[in-house]
Amino acid sequence: MRRFAISILFAVCLFQLNAQERLIILNEGNWQSNNARISYFEDGRIVSNKWFEEANGYGIGDTPNDIIQVGPDLIAIAVNWSNIIQYIRTDGTAVTATEDVPNNRKMATDGEYLYITSYGHECSTTGGLWECTKGFVAKVDLKTFKVVKCCEVGYEPEGIAYYNGCLFIANTGGYAFQEDHEYETTVSIVDAATMTKVRDVDTGVINLYGKMSQTGRYLCINSPGDYYDTPACSIIFDCQKALDGEKRCFMVLDDIPATYNCATLDGKFFAIGSSFSYYTYEYRFNTALIDPELMFRTDGADGLEDSLPGTVSEDISTKLSSPYGLYVNPYTGYIYATDANGDFNSPGKLHQWTPEGSYIGSYKLYINPGHFLALGDWKPAAVDNIRYDGSDLQSETIYNLNGFRVLPGSRGILIKDGKKYISNDK
Amino acid sequence: MPLGILLGRRVRRDKSEDQPVTLSISLPAGVRVGMNSRTAFILPLLVCAFVPLCHASDQDSISRALDEVVIMAEYRERQLVTQQTLEGKQLQALASTSIADALKYFAGVQIKDYGGLGGLKTINVRSLGAQHTGVFIDGVRITNAQNGTVDLGKYSLSTLESVSLYNANRLNQCQSASEYASGATVYMQTRRPASDSLSVQLKAASFHTWGGKANWQLAKDRIQGFVDAEYLNSKGDYPFRYHSRYEDTVGVRANSDIEYLRVESALFGGDFQSHLYYYTSERGCPGGIVRRLSDKYDNVGREWDRDFFVQGTWDHAFGERHRLKATAKYAWEYLRYCTDYPENQNTARVDNHYRQNDAYAALSYCLTPVSWLTINTGADARLTGLNSDLKFFDRVTRLDTKTVIAVMANMQGINVAASYLGQYYKDWTKVNVGAADPLFKATPSLSLSYTRWGLTARVWYKQIFRAPTLNDLYYTQAGNRNLKPEFTRQWNIGLEYHATPGLWNFSIQADAYRNDITDRIVCLPMKGTYTWSMLNYGKTLCHGLNGSMTIQRQARDWSAGVTASCTLQDDRNRTGSEDDENWNMVICYSPRFSSGVTVMGAWKMLTLSVSELHVSERMWSYADPEDMLSPYDNIDLKLSADFPHWGLSIEVNDLLDVQYEMIQRYPMPGRNFKISLTYKL
Repeated sequence: MRRFAISILFAVCLFQLNAQERLIILNEGNWQSNNARISYFEDGRIVSNKWFEEANGYGIGDTPNDIIQVGPDLIAIAVNWSNIIQYIRTDGTAVTATEDVPNNRKMATDGEYLYITSYGHECSTTGGLWECTKGFVAKVDLKTFKVVKCCEVGYEPEGIAYYNGCLFIANTGGYAFQEDHEYETTVSIVDAATMTKVRDVDTGVINLYGKMSQTGRYLCINSPGDYYDTPACSIIFDCQKALDGEKRCFMVLDDIPATYNCATLDGKFFAIGSSFSYYTYEYRFNTALIDPELMFRTDGADGLEDSLPGTVSEDISTKLSSPYGLYVNPYTGYIYATDANGDFNSPGKLHQWTPEGSYIGSYKLYINPGHFLALGDWKPAAVDNIRYDGSDLQSETIYNLNGFRVLPGSRGILIKDGKKYISNDK
Repeated sequence: MPLGILLGRRVRRDKSEDQPVTLSISLPAGVRVGMNSRTAFILPLLVCAFVPLCHASDQDSISRALDEVVIMAEYRERQLVTQQTLEGKQLQALASTSIADALKYFAGVQIKDYGGLGGLKTINVRSLGAQHTGVFIDGVRITNAQNGTVDLGKYSLSTLESVSLYNANRLNQCQSASEYASGATVYMQTRRPASDSLSVQLKAASFHTWGGKANWQLAKDRIQGFVDAEYLNSKGDYPFRYHSRYEDTVGVRANSDIEYLRVESALFGGDFQSHLYYYTSERGCPGGIVRRLSDKYDNVGREWDRDFFVQGTWDHAFGERHRLKATAKYAWEYLRYCTDYPENQNTARVDNHYRQNDAYAALSYCLTPVSWLTINTGADARLTGLNSDLKFFDRVTRLDTKTVIAVMANMQGINVAASYLGQYYKDWTKVNVGAADPLFKATPSLSLSYTRWGLTARVWYKQIFRAPTLNDLYYTQAGNRNLKPEFTRQWNIGLEYHATPGLWNFSIQADAYRNDITDRIVCLPMKGTYTWSMLNYGKTLCHGLNGSMTIQRQARDWSAGVTASCTLQDDRNRTGSEDDENWNMVICYSPRFSSGVTVMGAWKMLTLSVSELHVSERMWSYADPEDMLSPYDNIDLKLSADFPHWGLSIEVNDLLDVQYEMIQRYPMPGRNFKISLTYKL
């Protein structure tokens, strides 16, 4: 009997170890209510809607806006209204939190550093280290969790992506609506190493607000317009062409907003768009499947479909009352969308589809679930793009056990010249 | 027997003196001595009179009582509607800083308070919502066309004779049309001075609060008046604590300071009364308590208010059959809200100014063709202008007119009152979305009661709506010019009993009610977009029971009284269909049970009042059964001593230091003390 129980237990453990779908979902909660929560989903069940509280004994804070993985066992969460970046391990336990980036928004990483946009302006971050008039991007060293440098970009920078040593930042200019500045229309390119602005690409499209996703060299950027005279649309942006200085480095998809978007496994974008006008008080709803490569190759003639795989588009319009997020698991291809459920005061829902787009089911979450992170065999995004030319090979380079470069003087078990050693350096 | 002469010089009589009437006398401790009547007609308006205390035997108590005694007509309408009143000494004996503190003891009332002296305080009656409660000062409504709510924190109890709450509306003769236009009404009645006096008060309270007050009043034969000025300064740095399974937060409230100056003056003469009011304040608007690692960043918002109004009412009876009332008011309001501070990195930076001008005139006429019948008609017009430097905003002008016809009849204990109110709203503006279409809607109400042996049974029904406010319609990036009015229907059935054996006074009332609200006006993020907008969304259905009871006893040197009220309520969400997840869920922040008990005792110059308020748990979201605000009990104490020239009072609020919130993450102050010293000439 006992043997049987043990074998069952073992089977369960094995099953859990082999869990395919492991998803962390941020529930934003209500603004100023301090009720953000993290849900953890694993293979067809919500393990917990209080994952962070249960692991740490306290709440995550108020209104988290973004979650990304920055190390094999390290995740960063931008908690906007709490003014902190919370770092957790993949089991949900907290590592540390830093508050030097007020009003933080979205994040990108190269595996060594975290880059984060902020609406904060006319402020000093990092104890007066640096000041800016408009919004900025902060560079956080993931070894020390300290802000090492900032770069001023446009007003209220939102989406951020890392590509080939550069950061691409979509500026909105629409949050501090009552201020004297106009909507921004630019994507700022910042050199990640030096944190200096390379240049601004003027897209001619205002208010580049909302989710921005990246697949390889391409970005999908949303613009909700101004809700009055300028309609919503979206932009497909080619980072490589922008770096090469090509003028036609982006395409505007008129009247096809991508309010919620995500990258797929095969280099495409899924989008749910919603456009709204204060004149008519009507909103229009669309879905889009964008193949950026084909789109650029055909000069916009091809590469855009209005329906997502299988029944996803149909399900989204029938089963979801207020779409609030869209995601494709980058390890498995399973498709997810969240529903904020009407009055934004009710439990949100997670809807799940197979990679082919057949509906699996829905799961109850907490208020305003909008941001996802799938767990798997993580590699920094930058790794895919690194082509090692051997030029900076030095035997002096030190790595930690996670394979990241560390500075000389770091402590712990380190790898140098292919050998492990224990460093007690100060 | 001319009762008016018996009871004092200011009793208003509409009928010939041989008509029997019911009158009651509010004695210093709030004791009401009823004098019963044998018939049946409807006495007019609330009548205040300042008379010697008839039954008091020694000279001391007579001279002391002069300031306080009020005679009120026990008009029959009182039993037609559900009414609760706090008046005279009972009102002044409460531990309170604003009228919100007095109203919270009424059955069916829920005060919404963001905490601290500067926190917005609004009243919600029977779950209809703050914007369905009309607040009146001396019979004239305080309005705010911009947001439709009245911050009760701006009004002081010290100049008031009484505060009354009427469910539906008051039913008096010669009411203005506006008085019929809300789901519940609060009346603040200014005290008419009865003697010349000058008093100065100094006070100090917890959380770095201090202030002073001066009152000068005079009472001549034909004219009475007062000037009342108050200044208050409070840092509002009260400690709070959150203690739960996942939290143990201890802190001190920041940016919760307030500084205000209020100057009021009133002038009464015969049929005329007027009121002048000025209020200026600067306050911090603290946000919700959220997780932060330090105080480095704060969401600082500050607000400046300046309110001014002047109003006058002339109310005259022409013979026995005709009565005419004319009212005029001009109000000016200024509001500045600013979040532009370096330590505030979260909030979008705004520094906006709003200015409202409001002119109001009303005329009502009442005809009493036969003794058992009165017919009342009234017409109101209000013209409001709103200016703001909000982006994409332009001046809005609103014309709001109301007309009413009301009939009241009383025969052999049967009372009937019916009214029909028409409202017309028209806006002019150049904002880019354009003005809303004009709104016209007429709504009825009906009340019925039967009285026998001091026991009254009543039923009433009322339909009323609230028009969308100017913010609802035109606020940049939120307003929706297509909004429909938020519509309510109320049903009520109740019993009321009064008895006055000997020196005792006893009254009890209980009402069962049902109300529903359709087309609720709410601000929600639009489906699938990041934009917030005003929408007509949702229905609610509320069933409730209100009970209140008063027992008082007046003796020679002492008096004592107990007032208790309780509310049992079931407020449900009826939005969408029965299949919806939130169908029939209890409305957030709506308690199932609340009660208030006030015990007051007075002996010679000392008065002690102890109040206990209980509010049961409230949900604050539908997402998790754990999203619940804990029930709380508040005990307030006030001891005051009144000597011929000196007065001293000591208050303890929240005696047990209970930590509670009315709005999630907006902690209320715990135990606090207040002491005030008054010198009178």
